[in-house]
Amino acid sequence: MSTSLRRRLLGEHPSGWGLVLPASVLILGLNIGPMVWAFLLSLRHDDLLAPSKWVGLANYRRLAEDPVFRAAIGHTLNYTALFVPLSIAIGLGIAMMLNQPVRFAGFYRTCVFVPFVVSAAAEGALFSFVFDPHYGVANAALARVGIGPQGFFQDPRQAMATLVAISLWGGIGLCVVVLLAALQDVPTHLVEAARLDGAGRRAVFRHVTLPAITPVLVFLLVWQTLQALQLFELVYTTTNGGPLRATTVVVFYVYQQAFQQFDAGYGAAVAYVVAVAVFGLAVARLVLRRMRGRAG
Amino acid sequence: MTTMARRRGGRVPTLGRGEGGDDRPKGRSRRRLLPFNPWHLALAPMAVLFALPLVWLGLSSFMSNAEINRFPPALFPSSPHLDGYTYVLRNAEFPVWFGNSCLVAGATVLSNLVLCSLAAYGFARMRFRGAGVVFGLLMATLVVPFQLTMIPTFLLMRQLGLTDSLPALIVPNLVSAFGVFLLRQFFLALPPEFEDAARIDGCTRLGVLIRIVLPLARPALATLAVLTFLTTWNDLTWPLIVISTEHNYTLQLGLTTFTGQHRSQWSAVMAGNVLTTLPVLVAFLVGQRNFVASLTSSGLKG
Amino acid sequence: MRRPKTLGLLVAVLLGASVLAACGSGDTVSGGKVKVVFWHGQNDAAKKTIDGLIADFNRTHPNIEVDGNLGGVLADQMTTKVTAALAAGSYPDVAYIFGSDLANIARSPKVLDLTDTVHANGFGWDDFWPAEQQAASVDGRVRGMPALVDDLGIVYNKKLFDAAGIGYPNDSWSWDDFRTAARKLTDAGSGTFGTGWPGAGAEDTVWRLWPMLWQQGGDILNPDHSATAFDSPQGRTALSLVHDMAAVDKSVFVDSDPSSQRMNQLFNDGKMGMLVAGPWALPDIVDAKIDYGVTGLPGFGGNHTTISGADDWVLFDNGSARSKATIEFITWLTDPAQDIRWTQGVDNLPIRRASLKEPGYQDFVKRVAGIQVFVDNLPGARARPAVAAYPKVSAAVGQALVGSLLGQTDPATALHKAAQDGDTALKGP
Repeated sequence: MSTSLRRRLLGEHPSGWGLVLPASVLILGLNIGPMVWAFLLSLRHDDLLAPSKWVGLANYRRLAEDPVFRAAIGHTLNYTALFVPLSIAIGLGIAMMLNQPVRFAGFYRTCVFVPFVVSAAAEGALFSFVFDPHYGVANAALARVGIGPQGFFQDPRQAMATLVAISLWGGIGLCVVVLLAALQDVPTHLVEAARLDGAGRRAVFRHVTLPAITPVLVFLLVWQTLQALQLFELVYTTTNGGPLRATTVVVFYVYQQAFQQFDAGYGAAVAYVVAVAVFGLAVARLVLRRMRGRAG
Repeated sequence: MTTMARRRGGRVPTLGRGEGGDDRPKGRSRRRLLPFNPWHLALAPMAVLFALPLVWLGLSSFMSNAEINRFPPALFPSSPHLDGYTYVLRNAEFPVWFGNSCLVAGATVLSNLVLCSLAAYGFARMRFRGAGVVFGLLMATLVVPFQLTMIPTFLLMRQLGLTDSLPALIVPNLVSAFGVFLLRQFFLALPPEFEDAARIDGCTRLGVLIRIVLPLARPALATLAVLTFLTTWNDLTWPLIVISTEHNYTLQLGLTTFTGQHRSQWSAVMAGNVLTTLPVLVAFLVGQRNFVASLTSSGLKG
Repeated sequence: MRRPKTLGLLVAVLLGASVLAACGSGDTVSGGKVKVVFWHGQNDAAKKTIDGLIADFNRTHPNIEVDGNLGGVLADQMTTKVTAALAAGSYPDVAYIFGSDLANIARSPKVLDLTDTVHANGFGWDDFWPAEQQAASVDGRVRGMPALVDDLGIVYNKKLFDAAGIGYPNDSWSWDDFRTAARKLTDAGSGTFGTGWPGAGAEDTVWRLWPMLWQQGGDILNPDHSATAFDSPQGRTALSLVHDMAAVDKSVFVDSDPSSQRMNQLFNDGKMGMLVAGPWALPDIVDAKIDYGVTGLPGFGGNHTTISGADDWVLFDNGSARSKATIEFITWLTDPAQDIRWTQGVDNLPIRRASLKEPGYQDFVKRVAGIQVFVDNLPGARARPAVAAYPKVSAAVGQALVGSLLGQTDPATALHKAAQDGDTALKGP
């Protein structure tokens, strides 16, 4: 076989397979089998206990008319839309403050990061007390500044925001640490050059700092979005999806269907629709970017 | 790039020590209205907001069971009680759980670092047929909620004869698609010139990866290590399903045994939470200089 | 391609560790003993008691080796775990299952049918409380062995009643008396509540409503379990009362914590007048040194029917030898001589009448003041219907209750909606 033909058939570096094979086999092996299994499950009426019954697309049809499912999608989107941008924006703000020559910056950074290591279970135990409407520290603090008592987890309109607040408490630390490191790595000569050219603070940030930290922002965006879409344990330990399902997010709904209400087939259908939708969005974004790349 | 970072090393605050103030560049000192840097006005309350709940967690672990088994719990323990700690530490299995958690998290971190690096480098630098498709598939698995694949994964573990054993906690997490994504993104951002030079010197691809790329990638590896460690250390759902024997519990699983259906050993829960969080905290405090300083030495840049 | 030694070594060590750690588990113990894997779901004092019982059984039964494990503890977790275990085909021989989940778990063909066992001569199935028998039976077959039983009553704080100048609750109280007392006991200034109600919307929220329904002659489901029956005048009266107490009088502490242990803690701190609770609440109250009294539930029209939650030991088929050994173990465990030890260990109620005559019983009743009231109410207590759709019906009613407790929904509308959802669930797919 000529070299060029081999290249065309196998690519330039077929030995690349050797590198990616172990990880790919493990990841796909641990996911594709289970995904196929779950897809078959979604076509059945199955409680994982009794012999199941093939129902075709009935679970998917039921889903189209399920208001709770629609609400759960809404809650997940709400949560993601709040948590992801807020955690990164606040994280960037704090990181920029700490990037100033400030005494005790290390101490501050540690304070902000520490909640990140706390488990969701511990967070639940901690904050169900903090946000208790009658006895919690949060309302006591609000009373000090003249704001009346809030319902927090007992108010369907506030429960999601409270959940976001707790997630921010636990999730900003990672953004700060990673962004601070990136900020400290912005080439100083570029900043100084921009300053010499008469660029203001804002211009320097937009044209020098921001492009330099973009890869880190992308990393955080992906990570935080994945965390947000998969939100489960915090809901499980604080609200159990309530009040009035106000915090029933998609993954919690899947869990509830499969393990609390013995409707695993339906739960699988729910999860499937969501996974396919997210995947579709990601692919669409990629395709759009490619097309734009070709056009430009 | 690295040399530049090193040159800056003296001026960039090295983290983890009392820093800033003294070696502040002279040109930037402003006229002072306050006896301290005004940024502290924003930073100090923020630090309090983040740290206070944890301080309370620490304090509450020194309350007696009767004291904390009240609602609302006291803000301060009336006198330091060790009820919770004695309860936790008298449990003969606690050190075993600790060891299990360390083993599981350690093995997971290690294998992730190795396998993700290999795959990420392959995807970043080598062109082979099917790379795009495989990478796309890997990324697609990121959006699958674990609750969906939990049962079939359990089935798989059973086929492998691993249920109710520590490998059952390790095998499904040996490598993460996210880790591959993170490292690939980083490798793509590295200037290829170093590697080309090494290639010309006769290094194999693996040699280049190990001698040139990985040392440069320390920040990304550190990030992956921290994320993997915490995810594994704090995981509860999977151990709960796959582990039954107390001897194979992880710390998080062990902690749930302090809460009962109707009665809970709250002081033990609090003390257990402290004992579970503390090692991670200390590890970060000790390691943060490496973690953050290594991040600063080259950065996740594009 | 040259492989770097370090990497290869790492992988080898990892794989080696996995293989090594995978060894050491097997199904049978050496020496021909039959092994019984037992997920008892108990912690703390209860675990100590059950460990002691297991040890005694193993000593006196040389052919059987019972291996007791906690499994998971909280309701959802144990159900999740057992469901996953059954789905994957790797399950214990016996596990602790919550009464409200039994009908679903029993859908698994792996669950043993104990009907013949309990009706065999000398077993004494009639010695178990009626609510236990009812809760353990699915479609007329016995699918679980009673493990733990409780019923609801009122625990009250004497000091708070004295301070408010109200007479202590007694077993002739109506729910109106209860509501009036709760209102009088509530004091926003000192943060004191008349009573509490779990507000997470789970089964702990729901089952407290059923006695109020039954006392008026209402019911949860129709006789053949094909539709809900709670969207009735009786249901509306019950839910409206909860709504009015919580949302109008504001005398109810709504406990949104999924564990619903906060209202008990509030009572332990002397900040709640009356706790609707089971015997499980008493030990902590004793520890907190609250001067308390216990009485049965208030009633409607003189009917004071209470609800009994009965959980079960559920046995799974791992082959006939293990099944036989497991039945032998569970029969031994529920024998009065063992039951009284179990009762004392968990500070709960005896699961059968004969245990009341055991020597330790009198000490037990003296040690945990007021627990006799719960025992006295057991014979008349009712159980929830053991149907597979119950968790869904419960979840639907849970929404109606939370809406009413928080004053977010009109009780009648909410109850109607819950009945519709419940009916859909009962119809099945």
